[in-house]
Amino acid sequence: MSEEFEPNIVAFLCNWCSYAGADLAGTSRMHYLPNVKIIRVMCSGRVNPLFLLNALQQGADGVLISGCHPGDCHYLEGNYYARRRFMLMHKLLEHVGVDPGRVNMSWVSASEGAKFADVVKETVEKAKAAGPMDQFRRRQLNW
Amino acid sequence: MVDTKRLQEKAKEVLIRDDVRRLIGWKRGTYGFEAAPTVITDASQVDQLIFDATCVQNPASFISLEEKKPVPRGAEPDTRKIAVMVKGCDSRAIVQQLVEKAYGRDDVIVLGIPCRGVIDRRKAMKMFGDVTPGNVSLNGDKVAVEVGGEKKEVERGELLMDKCMRCRYPNPLVSDDLLGEEVEKWADDEFADVDEFEKMVPEEKWKYWEEQFSKCIRCYSCRNVCPMCYCVECVVTKMKPQWTRRSTDISENTAYHIQRAWHLAGRCIECNECQRVCPVDIPIMTLNRKLTRDVKDMFEYEPGVDAEAEPLLACYNPQDPEEYIM
Repeated sequence: MSEEFEPNIVAFLCNWCSYAGADLAGTSRMHYLPNVKIIRVMCSGRVNPLFLLNALQQGADGVLISGCHPGDCHYLEGNYYARRRFMLMHKLLEHVGVDPGRVNMSWVSASEGAKFADVVKETVEKAKAAGPMDQFRRRQLNW
Repeated sequence: MVDTKRLQEKAKEVLIRDDVRRLIGWKRGTYGFEAAPTVITDASQVDQLIFDATCVQNPASFISLEEKKPVPRGAEPDTRKIAVMVKGCDSRAIVQQLVEKAYGRDDVIVLGIPCRGVIDRRKAMKMFGDVTPGNVSLNGDKVAVEVGGEKKEVERGELLMDKCMRCRYPNPLVSDDLLGEEVEKWADDEFADVDEFEKMVPEEKWKYWEEQFSKCIRCYSCRNVCPMCYCVECVVTKMKPQWTRRSTDISENTAYHIQRAWHLAGRCIECNECQRVCPVDIPIMTLNRKLTRDVKDMFEYEPGVDAEAEPLLACYNPQDPEEYIM
């Protein structure tokens, strides 16, 4: 029996836009893929790139970071810093040979429930194409 | 090249000042093709100072290494200056530390040395074997090395560090005193090695790095020697929260190396020290240079050049590239 690979996606959503957008998708009863595990952070600028590495080590097949549109940040400029940071992290992971489709970033506002569903779909598709993350997953020790 | 007499006289002049605590420079190494960094506090010790093509170490790494002990009640903190001798590449480390406000410009005395390249220990080992050379001097495009009483001349490119063959800043970018004639720049950096690496497909890249990273014994030499890694508490050795575990498996090693390279994004000044000290020969600079190139291309930013600049990741431009963002 062969089952299709279902990736684990960890999504870091900012409290003010993307999390509210995901909430809107839920309350509007839009269907979005259940692969995504949401972690709420106060701002996309809060997301340390180490979170991303740690997620990939601990079993995520893809990571999504989502924040307010540029210029709409609740803290005025947090998403600009995040954008620079993840742009470089994206390039670095690509250089090491990690599939670039595993690291995704998006801007989703509180009114874009439909966009959130689309973004999740795209992220899952990319992670599916990349396959299971087995490059540097942490070995599980059973003791 | 720099006249050793002049260098020592200048060092003496600096050290007898009341407001100078110590001087960091180079002395003759005891073994092999490398000089040894030295810290001297007394003017009587200046005759051990040298500068030649064996002075590879970056003295800027040592400026902020001192343990900051609490000052006893009633005592004044020691605010005396630290004098440091730097080559062109080392001076960029100082500029970048100034950008990050690791210390103030008044806290250091920079004695700049125009440099024409330094010797790569690995290349020299391959060429001459396990020997300790006598005099080493750079004449034009040749390096003259005395090995076992015999004088040998070699092409510069065969013996000097790769970083020196593409050096963009042979003259110190910051200095209070220049100990020699400025030298002319001889090369430019096209990042050809990065381009070459980028041609590989992801699977090949990972295969390459998997092999490299699995060699790592996590001695943290690359971190310790780095002039930009001067945090009092480092995230890789922190226990709570523990971001990377200490086991040396491929998972933790990869995470460590990505973290280390990432922490130097927009900060690495390419002194090549990390790669030089690596006991298992991991090509660490390949990661750093990739980021340096990208930072230059995407944000038009070069670390360690302008002491007035803002740190790359502490500023932003609303027009930053965002082609991969959905």
